[in-house]
Amino acid sequence: MDTKANISKGPLAGLRIIDSTTMVAMPTGLHIMADMGAEVIKVETHTLFRTEAARLLYADNDPGDEPWNRDGSFNTLQRSKLGLTLNLKVPEAVQAFKELTQISDVIVENNRAGTMDRLGLGYEELRKVKPDLIYVSNTGFGHTGPWRTYAGIGRMFELTCGLSQFTGYPDEGPRRVGKAFFDLHVGWTAVFAILAALHYRQKTGRGQWIDLAMYQIGVSTMGDAILDYTANGRNGQIVGNRHPHHAPHGVYPCKGDDNWIAMGVENDGQWDALCEAMSSPSWTREERFTDTLSRWRHQDELDPLLSQWTRDFDHLELMALLQKVGVPAAAVMNSREVLTDPHMRARNFFEHIPHSPGSGIGTKSYFGRPWKMSKTPSFIQRPAPSLGEHNELILGELLGRSQEEIERLYEIEVLGTVPTDPPTFIPPSYEKQLEDGSLAGYDPDYSKIVGIE
Amino acid sequence: MAATALGQFRIIDLSTHIAGPLCTKMFADYGAEVVKVEPLGTGDPSRNIGPFFKDDPHPEKSLLFFYLNCNKQGVTLNLETAAGRNILLSLIKDADALIESFPPGYLAKLGLGYGELEKINPGLVVTSVTPFGQDGPYRDYAGNDLVYYAMSGMMYASGAHDREPLKHGHPQSYYMGGMIAAYATSAALFSRTLTGQGQHIDLSLQESVAAHQYDSATRYSYTGTIERRAPKVESGSTKGTRFEGIVPGKDGYIAPTMQRGRPTAPFSDYVALLGHPELDDTKFASRQLIAEHREELDDVLLPLIKEWKKEDYFNTFMSEGFVAGVVQTSEDLVNCPQLKERGYYTEVEHPVIGRIKVPGEMFRLPECPWSLRSPAPLLGQHNEAVYCGELGYTKEDLVMLRQLRAI
Repeated sequence: MDTKANISKGPLAGLRIIDSTTMVAMPTGLHIMADMGAEVIKVETHTLFRTEAARLLYADNDPGDEPWNRDGSFNTLQRSKLGLTLNLKVPEAVQAFKELTQISDVIVENNRAGTMDRLGLGYEELRKVKPDLIYVSNTGFGHTGPWRTYAGIGRMFELTCGLSQFTGYPDEGPRRVGKAFFDLHVGWTAVFAILAALHYRQKTGRGQWIDLAMYQIGVSTMGDAILDYTANGRNGQIVGNRHPHHAPHGVYPCKGDDNWIAMGVENDGQWDALCEAMSSPSWTREERFTDTLSRWRHQDELDPLLSQWTRDFDHLELMALLQKVGVPAAAVMNSREVLTDPHMRARNFFEHIPHSPGSGIGTKSYFGRPWKMSKTPSFIQRPAPSLGEHNELILGELLGRSQEEIERLYEIEVLGTVPTDPPTFIPPSYEKQLEDGSLAGYDPDYSKIVGIE
Repeated sequence: MAATALGQFRIIDLSTHIAGPLCTKMFADYGAEVVKVEPLGTGDPSRNIGPFFKDDPHPEKSLLFFYLNCNKQGVTLNLETAAGRNILLSLIKDADALIESFPPGYLAKLGLGYGELEKINPGLVVTSVTPFGQDGPYRDYAGNDLVYYAMSGMMYASGAHDREPLKHGHPQSYYMGGMIAAYATSAALFSRTLTGQGQHIDLSLQESVAAHQYDSATRYSYTGTIERRAPKVESGSTKGTRFEGIVPGKDGYIAPTMQRGRPTAPFSDYVALLGHPELDDTKFASRQLIAEHREELDDVLLPLIKEWKKEDYFNTFMSEGFVAGVVQTSEDLVNCPQLKERGYYTEVEHPVIGRIKVPGEMFRLPECPWSLRSPAPLLGQHNEAVYCGELGYTKEDLVMLRQLRAI
């Protein structure tokens, strides 16, 4: 392989990874590795519902002729990858999977424990054809222990991993924040785990099987809370947007409907700067607000006074005004504001990716990676593959199958580019979504606003 | 010595608080040699952040610091002195990576910018973890967990429809940043084996949280619609076909669902497992019907779920293939049978705290497993070991350097 050409593609160029996963966590980790130049082959089957493409985020809310290729979440999570359909219920597909393993470095799967063994594609079987294989099995709770068979769904880990004991409005019970929250942590940690195994392989020539449990990765962000119980017998408390020792700390209303400024004041200097920005009204000099401890104790009285001041400001202008004097403040940004934010624009955080003309999707904006490497730049290599888009490329060029053989694989339903069970659900109209309150707004000229016309 | 995945790497860690130290903790846990370099006096500010062991606010008893810095060596160094800067340059000569979290431009001002470090060690990977990155109009903005949540889009869409936006109650953005810094640093080290070149990594904590939003930013780019805190995601209700809410049980909170693999399990199976098969009703026979009768469903199910202990509910429904969650407390995590069975907790002896049980393995690498080799270092604990043992200074030199306020 031409090493130099690969290096220009990113830090992981030259690696080949088989992505036999679904949902959010592993697809996240693997699209990052693909952005970094690894050749990631997403293996799926047209005979099963493309579950990750069922979030009903169709381009322009229109399922089109091929709804399974038009879902925005799917296309975010699978970008930069190649797409192969293999119906592993047919022996010819299992054979092709094994041949692909022989020329790959890493396999990642997230089936329930035992599924891959039943298909004849477990680690013990595959290491026979590829002795230094790195094989990641991602499950909810790991392959051992009393909970090993329990279903692992991203949005439940916030609760079971201990994060929800802190999260919610203090006058209510616990709540979720974000969606499928720990899925992303698990995806990022998977990249680290795979790279750790690759570093070990470089040193020793040995591969291995990685048991990656979502639960343990989520719990590992709770170390201080766990030790607080061990040492002090204390459990977490629901704190809303407040902080264990800083005040004021929360969100305050601004001008307009549902606009907010977040402020987290961490010391006396920042408090003084905030007071000056407010032209030091007399209440700021009252004894109950003169030092951090007393401000923290009198938050219930402090917050309404601050809200009185913030509500006359535009939230974005107030952010600039407060940051200018050193107060950690931020507009609570909605998705339009995030996508058009001048800072992230200046850093090219979002990448504009044209989809193929035949897809009818056009150019879309996707988030990149929250880091930049100075010498091996990463980028979205290509839009997400349509179902079976690279079947011919992979079976023909990589596995040496003839055109006739490939056609036969389509006939016996090993390969397919149209799902046997296509999604039929029509998403509700924008009007209905606005009416039921799940949308804050709709911009018909969004392409112009984002700059993807 | 046991095989390790990352034992071949030596990392100099100038970072403080949570994100950078979590990154180097992940390396250290899988074998890397990490030298934590702390400022003189108070050391890493996280030494002054609770919780503290036995609620004693002693700089060696911060459990946050302790958790994030096990397996590392600790030295003190004053980069504002010429002697301190020279020691740092000696340290990085043989290092593979340097992690730092100073404000952008600070190290360059001291003559320790990436350009300078690269001259001394071209293979060095330098990872800078900052609030908003090294460039761009917000480069010098002040950041913290609340600020990153607000500017990611996640907060706007979280919480109750008619109340203020909500963030997590535990500072997760720093943990996200740490995990991301860890894989990015590791990828740059992997790339180095092909190129022989180190490089500079510029990581933004704000973008780390924004990179969590795999659908809301995309939603705008795909449809022009702005997602809001949705009315259906209610706490204290089972409303909606997927039971979005988190509802009270007998001894804590439960998130019930009727999901069992795919498709959604029949209502009859659900109520049978709940102990009330007589409640089976054609009114709730499909997702569509459940959505239509959501208020009624609350009336039927909430009082029954309230009678369940959360652990019983979790085990009963999960072992039958249903999807369920329970709000575990720290106490539940400490006593969790799954974590116990998987050997998640281990013990270590700390010179000031004493013997303490510690959360451990993030993921299992059977060939070269995680290990706990040492507790978090005391402030300056390894000055002699590192400066004399490795850099060749004498004990007299240490006295001199101390008097110069360099170490």
